[in-house]
Amino acid sequence: MSSEVKAKEKVNMDPQYLIKLTVTLLITCVVVAAALGGVNAVTAETIEEINWENTVNAMKAVVADPDATAFSDALELTDAMTAAASASGGTLDSVYEAQVDGQNAGYAIKVVTSGSQGKIEMMVGVDGEGVVTGVSIVKNAETAGIGSKVMENQNTASGVGVLSQFEGKSAADGTLTVGSNVDAISGATVSTRGVTNGVNAALAVAGAMG
Amino acid sequence: MNFGKQLKEGLLTQNPVLVQMLGLCSTMAITTSIANGVGMGVSVLIILTASNVVISAIRKVVPDKIRIAMFIVVIAGFVTCVDLLLQAFVPAIAASLGVFIPLIVVNCIILGRAEAFSYKNGIGASFLDGICQGLGYTAVLLVMCFIRELLGAGTLAGFRIIPEQFPIGVLTLPVGGFLVLGFLIAAMQWALSKSKEDK
Repeated sequence: MSSEVKAKEKVNMDPQYLIKLTVTLLITCVVVAAALGGVNAVTAETIEEINWENTVNAMKAVVADPDATAFSDALELTDAMTAAASASGGTLDSVYEAQVDGQNAGYAIKVVTSGSQGKIEMMVGVDGEGVVTGVSIVKNAETAGIGSKVMENQNTASGVGVLSQFEGKSAADGTLTVGSNVDAISGATVSTRGVTNGVNAALAVAGAMG
Repeated sequence: MNFGKQLKEGLLTQNPVLVQMLGLCSTMAITTSIANGVGMGVSVLIILTASNVVISAIRKVVPDKIRIAMFIVVIAGFVTCVDLLLQAFVPAIAASLGVFIPLIVVNCIILGRAEAFSYKNGIGASFLDGICQGLGYTAVLLVMCFIRELLGAGTLAGFRIIPEQFPIGVLTLPVGGFLVLGFLIAAMQWALSKSKEDK
């Protein structure tokens, strides 16, 4: 580094120097980009497989009969579906069809909702009659020891797991609300509310699909 | 080249975390379990060594004015490679370190060593510097992880040591990270000044 830093160093505007700077940086970027492309080519498929496996595991956790159920690729989302989810306070991520013996047995709906510490990604299983078959959390950042109790499906005061209580609920129960037809974990009301919004959104999506 | 001297600097007298105060953010954020510490420490060690070597190799052709931009491009390239490889081959570690792997790009240890060491020294010395500073960082992480996982969660590398009702849960929260790091820095400074007095 230059030991003398002049108060007003004159900017070197010599075109040759500027070109040299640009070309050096450009070559470096090209070389690095090529190297990254190589690594990506090697790893992309494995990463894809791992992500799919995680998704399948999350879906298996929310259907009635995990061993007999197969899952379709992600379905194409319609405007009606995304709008239904946003109206209920969640964001629709993807929908997969659950199939038992090749027959439609409902849907696994992945929604994103707001918890107390950021986004909660959750998978909600809804059967052919629009009844919730299970809820599982894919990704969350809730506070360890407080909101995490909701994520781990600990029991509420009524002795039922906070996520398990959604099983059997359907659009016929009306909008699910913490305090009226949903029990919260004490101290983690906001996290419970987030999850509840997610279930509402998933039910709305299932409704919009008919 | 003097491996013994560089190792002593990396681990003790010029320890990147406890003396140079670099990379504190990641140190506090991820040191909640031994597995995290090992994953993060090894990732940083590899990236630091690789970027040190490359930067040292290209130091004579890098124009002074754009050296920082060049460093960042090189470092970001290595970080992205490591991130992709972790996601593909050790997804568990990638999931628990999360955003802190991409954030190694802006980890001051790596840019700091590029600027302070490998931009001025040969390839061999820069390689050793990467290893030694990486080991120094990893050592601090492991000490932090050991204290926070054992006392905060009551486990070590996932095995329960202390029954569930006794651990001091606050140590696994960010505030516990600040406390443990503060005590470690104090202890290090005390030990260093004491060894100076003895001389």
